[in-house]
Amino acid sequence: MAVLLKAQDLTTNFYTYEGAVKALDKFSLSIDHGCTFGLVGESGCGKSVTVRSMLRVIQSPGVIEGGKVLFSEKADAEPVDLLALTEEEMESVRGDSISMIFQEPNAALNPVITIGDQVAESFLFHRVAEMSQKICDAIDSGESYGLLTPYYRAMLGVAAKNPKAPLLKFCSQVPFLKWWDKPVKKEALQRAIKIIGKLGIANPEEIVTRYPHNLSGGMKQRIVIAIALACHPTLLIADEATSNLDVTVQAQILQLLNDLKKESISSILLITHDLGVVAETCEKVGVMYAGTLCETGDVKDVFSTPLHPYTQALLTSVPKFNQEGELQSIEGSVPNLVNPPSGCRFHPRCPKAMDKCSTDKPELKELIPGHLVACHHADRVIGGLS
Amino acid sequence: MTAYIIRRLLFLVFVLFGVSILIFGLLSTFSPERRAAAYVTTPKQAENIPLIIQKYGLDKPFYVQYGKWVEQVADGNLGWSLVAARPVAQAFWNYFPTTLELNLFASPLVIIVGIWLGTMSGVHRDSFFDHSTRIAAIVGWSLPTFLFALILLMVFYGYLDMFSPGILSSDLSLWVANNPDKFVRYTGMYSIDGLLNGRLDITLNALSHLVLPVVTQVIVVVALLMRVMRSGMIEEMNKDYVITAKAKGADFKTIYKKHAKKNALIPVITVAGQLVALSMEGSIAVEVVFNRQGMGWWLAESATQLDMPVLMSVCMFVGLVFVTSNLIIDIMYAYVDPRIRLH
Amino acid sequence: METSTAMTAVQAHEHPRLRELKFTLARIFRNPSAVIGVVLLSFFIGVAIAAPYIAPPKYAHAPYKMPHKGFSPTPKAPSERFIMGTTSGQYDIFYGVVWGTRTAFKIGLFVVGIAGFVGITLGVLAGYYGGWFDEFLMRFVDIVWSIPLLVLAMTIVVAFGRGLENIMIALALVEWRWYVRVIRSEVLKLRNQEFVQAAKLMGVSDCKIILRHILPNSIYPVLIMGSMDMGSMVISASFMSFVGLGAPKGYADWGQMVALARNYIVGPSNDPLQFWYTIFFPGICIILFVLAWNLLGDALRDAFDPKLRRR
Repeated sequence: MAVLLKAQDLTTNFYTYEGAVKALDKFSLSIDHGCTFGLVGESGCGKSVTVRSMLRVIQSPGVIEGGKVLFSEKADAEPVDLLALTEEEMESVRGDSISMIFQEPNAALNPVITIGDQVAESFLFHRVAEMSQKICDAIDSGESYGLLTPYYRAMLGVAAKNPKAPLLKFCSQVPFLKWWDKPVKKEALQRAIKIIGKLGIANPEEIVTRYPHNLSGGMKQRIVIAIALACHPTLLIADEATSNLDVTVQAQILQLLNDLKKESISSILLITHDLGVVAETCEKVGVMYAGTLCETGDVKDVFSTPLHPYTQALLTSVPKFNQEGELQSIEGSVPNLVNPPSGCRFHPRCPKAMDKCSTDKPELKELIPGHLVACHHADRVIGGLS
Repeated sequence: MTAYIIRRLLFLVFVLFGVSILIFGLLSTFSPERRAAAYVTTPKQAENIPLIIQKYGLDKPFYVQYGKWVEQVADGNLGWSLVAARPVAQAFWNYFPTTLELNLFASPLVIIVGIWLGTMSGVHRDSFFDHSTRIAAIVGWSLPTFLFALILLMVFYGYLDMFSPGILSSDLSLWVANNPDKFVRYTGMYSIDGLLNGRLDITLNALSHLVLPVVTQVIVVVALLMRVMRSGMIEEMNKDYVITAKAKGADFKTIYKKHAKKNALIPVITVAGQLVALSMEGSIAVEVVFNRQGMGWWLAESATQLDMPVLMSVCMFVGLVFVTSNLIIDIMYAYVDPRIRLH
Repeated sequence: METSTAMTAVQAHEHPRLRELKFTLARIFRNPSAVIGVVLLSFFIGVAIAAPYIAPPKYAHAPYKMPHKGFSPTPKAPSERFIMGTTSGQYDIFYGVVWGTRTAFKIGLFVVGIAGFVGITLGVLAGYYGGWFDEFLMRFVDIVWSIPLLVLAMTIVVAFGRGLENIMIALALVEWRWYVRVIRSEVLKLRNQEFVQAAKLMGVSDCKIILRHILPNSIYPVLIMGSMDMGSMVISASFMSFVGLGAPKGYADWGQMVALARNYIVGPSNDPLQFWYTIFFPGICIILFVLAWNLLGDALRDAFDPKLRRR
């Protein structure tokens, strides 16, 4: 399968008073077209930072220090490095080719802007040309948009060719003339209503006039998903999209994502700390520890034959239905990333640590086809297996 | 909403009652003769002070005096102003427009400049622009109004001979005083009355007298607004919904203008009351230094000449304005922040 | 690596409050405005302490009375004898500026001290215990709140009689309302937090809870406000002196010196800025004094602001 997104040696630091927090250290990851990829790890291991770095939406004091994020929207196209794009080019990628669902629906929506406005924005950022063309055609075939119809027709004709034309930018600053985009906004709102309705929210015409605080947590999360899905992204990133929701709502949302994937989106990157969710919904999985990827491969392979000691520990710490005796936990605690452990970042907590582990950083190696692991010890495990 | 406003209006009555007791109590330290002035309405009455003391029981207990005073106020009789040499109620309409004029010009400037500067320095945090506006704001905040006004007067009037103090040049004001039939004082504000009477020269002259006072008022008040707007912007730009907007593909301008600014305006509204108070205090200093006969000048003059009825009435008036503007601010708050519903 | 781990170990042994204080101080002094503020303040403190040596008083019993040579209303330019010149009435500007520093500190410390003490005590009690006392106090504050500081303070000064002491008392009588409101809202936030509830359940006395848990956690906004107030109270007091509600003529007070200069801001037409020194020296003193406290307060706010902290 063709690679959709490939992160190479992604490094992100946060510059705080205590010193530089090395949140991502030479992080590498690859996601195929049409695949649902689960990224798991403890809280604070840098999952959110990873995806935010890939989309370049890291907030101060975070800085992306280096690496590459290669993205090829069409399977056969030459990949582009997202980190090398200009900010303006990046704006056209965000929300259109790649979009994101956030963990906290309460915080992810702007409290003082109506729901309709917030969803419609996605269309207004990426679909102005197409919508303008549609309205122009409608006007040409005799539809009326009130007194200003000729003015709309003229302006939208320009917008259909180039939504960022200087003329439009100028007119947007002038009172009265700035209403040229009224039909487009109306159209965007119609589309917003449609997509909100599609996500199983009753009465979308009424919902769009409400503010976020009027909605329940599950509804808000659906709105956040609607925003992300608006422009049919090639890659949808769901950052702990279900973690703060009730179990029943969580199941609904996961089901929804699954259904959507079948019909519209190509790939999903699901970030979670819940291994059960990964086992149920994902095809591939990546396990993260303290800013590095330790293991990645097919869900079945990784979960049945974990090669990295951290993955093994993580799997044994999940309570099982027929659990007997005490639950296993991982010794020690998550390291302070201002002074991360040298070599393999897991070595202070690793039961199998060797001298080499504290000095050399293990490379991510493909030990079994399709199953990559970053551990000095893994070779021997493989030897034992075969 | 209506219930809320009614409740707030009741609160207004309570506060005014409290203010009147407080001020009346404070001023009852004066001799009965001085307080008698509060009941005088004509120069002739002023000769009969002992009679008034007897009539209103000014040597009687506090509550008796207070009751009598409230009775008088209910009749619309606010007393006699020594400074203005006429009844307080009458003098009020003479002074009030001048202060209103000053703030009518200064307040929009304060709001526009303050919000713009605060937004810009918050968005471009730690840039050169940010640092310079912050320094300017803290220096502006440290400038005593009266001193800054004096310095402006020294430079512009003394050295450059550009803007003179006062409200109107002396020959024009003399003409206005002598021709009440040709120049009707509709609003009491020369800049507007000039337009209404078709006398552009008077408007321009009044405006040129307004330049320095308005500049002083703006510089002293704008610092607070700017600071609150700046920290609001910084806070909002770090919120999660900004990332959502960014992830949608929003450009930087849309993010701060549409998303962050609306939220950052909410804390600004909470300090609006303070801004009103600052403008009131600023007006006193500005009017005293630039010799503009308005409410602030009147208050300062009355304080130095122990003009008790004026102090009493001005305090009541200021309380009324302040509490009313706070009510308006609270209602605005509910409009800006949809999460708040008044009940 | 080794040393940093060792350092963390040492830090861990320090009292957490001490460590927090160190962190805060480091933050404050990383800010250049705080450094400028502290330098300016040290200068003013030095001048205030050394006043009797810098400008020996002429009247030992009344050092705040400015000496004057003659009664001529026209100011005289700086000379060897009066290095900053003399103001209207031939008062020595240098002497007035030096002893005026003491006056400024007197005003600031008195007003902020009294207003802060009264405000904090009442605010903490009202916020912690609530009930009728809280209700009564807050309604009273509502009333006082509806009149701007300067208007109310001027009225009080009129009632009590002119003079610097009465200006200070009036300002303190008005300004406490701020401290009550600020500290009360902080206490209300803290009162229901778990650590306070836990202390209550463990039977810790109210007095101890207030002193050990409530006050240390709610005092920061008050400190910031106190610092800013040191400056703004001096502004308000000097304005009242300027208007003529202050000390009798000749008292070493910056506001009054500006008032003396008022008629001389515009000189004769051939030299309009002839009397610049009459307003410049007392004026710059007020501005720098207020600026110093505001810079300090601003740095404190940056350091204590939880949203900007630890960046």
